[in-house]
Amino acid sequence: MNRRTGKSKPAAAEFTTVVVLRLYVAGGAPNSMQAIANLEAICAEYLKDGHRLEVVDVLQNPRRAMAEGVLVTPSLNKLSPQPAAQVIGNLSDKTRVLLALGLKPHVE
Amino acid sequence: MLNDSNLVSVPAGPRSALQKALRQLPEGGLERQAVEAGEIDAVIDYGSVNVIMFPAARRALRVAANRASVASRKAVHEVTLANHVLAALPSAEYQRLLPQLEPVTLKFGEVLQEQGAPIRYVYFPVDCVICLLTETDDGRAVKTGLVGYEGMVGMSLALGVDISPVRALVQVAGASHRMSAACFIDEFQRGRTLRRELHRCAHAEMAQARQTAACMGSHLFEQRLTRWLLMTSDRSRSQEIPLTHEYLAAVMNARRESVTQAAGSLRSRGLISYARGKIKILDRTGLEAASCSCYRPI
Repeated sequence: MNRRTGKSKPAAAEFTTVVVLRLYVAGGAPNSMQAIANLEAICAEYLKDGHRLEVVDVLQNPRRAMAEGVLVTPSLNKLSPQPAAQVIGNLSDKTRVLLALGLKPHVE
Repeated sequence: MLNDSNLVSVPAGPRSALQKALRQLPEGGLERQAVEAGEIDAVIDYGSVNVIMFPAARRALRVAANRASVASRKAVHEVTLANHVLAALPSAEYQRLLPQLEPVTLKFGEVLQEQGAPIRYVYFPVDCVICLLTETDDGRAVKTGLVGYEGMVGMSLALGVDISPVRALVQVAGASHRMSAACFIDEFQRGRTLRRELHRCAHAEMAQARQTAACMGSHLFEQRLTRWLLMTSDRSRSQEIPLTHEYLAAVMNARRESVTQAAGSLRSRGLISYARGKIKILDRTGLEAASCSCYRPI
């Protein structure tokens, strides 16, 4: 299960930082599904087109996770912009995810 | 701390493997915290390049896989049930046939095969009804058969002839599967059950044509019309038949007035009703009694 969403190209007129994310999941296991849903909701709200997300299924490709030092799933890696960050778990703690992505929560 | 609460129902093998993998997680690391919070599905064992699932995640995947398998079996079953020839095939034979079957929606009045022309496709009707017509010298075409979900259109191919002896016209619109003539010939030679089923259908089609011929010469028009309505209703699996009096007059080689008169008689007895090109069967038992004896054998 490798999925890419979002667009990598910034608008021609303005420069937008694209956040590159990689989420490691274990097939359709409950925490993995929840992590995908939580992350997609956060990206839709905060990053819109300014992100690129790849979902890697470790059941199909464990070596990819190992190459990046991933020990458990679900596990989210922010690859760029620097600094790199990692969030482990089902991403239900929105504040922690936003912090890792370098984003400020919207004022409710 | 990691404890056995996460692993209660784990069998000895996977449990020990999971425990071993969990012990390898860094002390006080984010991974351990997430495991304790119950937010982890699997641990990657670098030694064996293996993904070790937590029991709850493994159970959830198994349930999802079972559901998908049931859904796929059900879908196959529903498709096969829709046409009796396909439904009779053993799973292996059906699966081999499946890639060659193309689902199509047939419209009323569409001509699938022309009399005297090569057969390009065979059709396995699902809920449509196909009328087989034979042309006469004066250019008229008279009904000589009816095919629905119980059979196949293009039976001549199964008998080794690639030219259609009839015109196949869509009488009731609906869904069907079709297969190219070349694929069909190949599958017909390979599939034992398909062959057996189509021989049975060919026999039924022949018997229907003979009975229709006998019926034409010996029974009243109203009885023949009643039989045709019942046969169409059986094959479309509906009590409502979208047929106009003009169409019935054309395929039954009769005048429109004769159809109107016979239908009026059936309606006055409360057996059918009709409006805006739709005939509705109200009393099926009564209609069967009003039909000629030819209805039962076919």
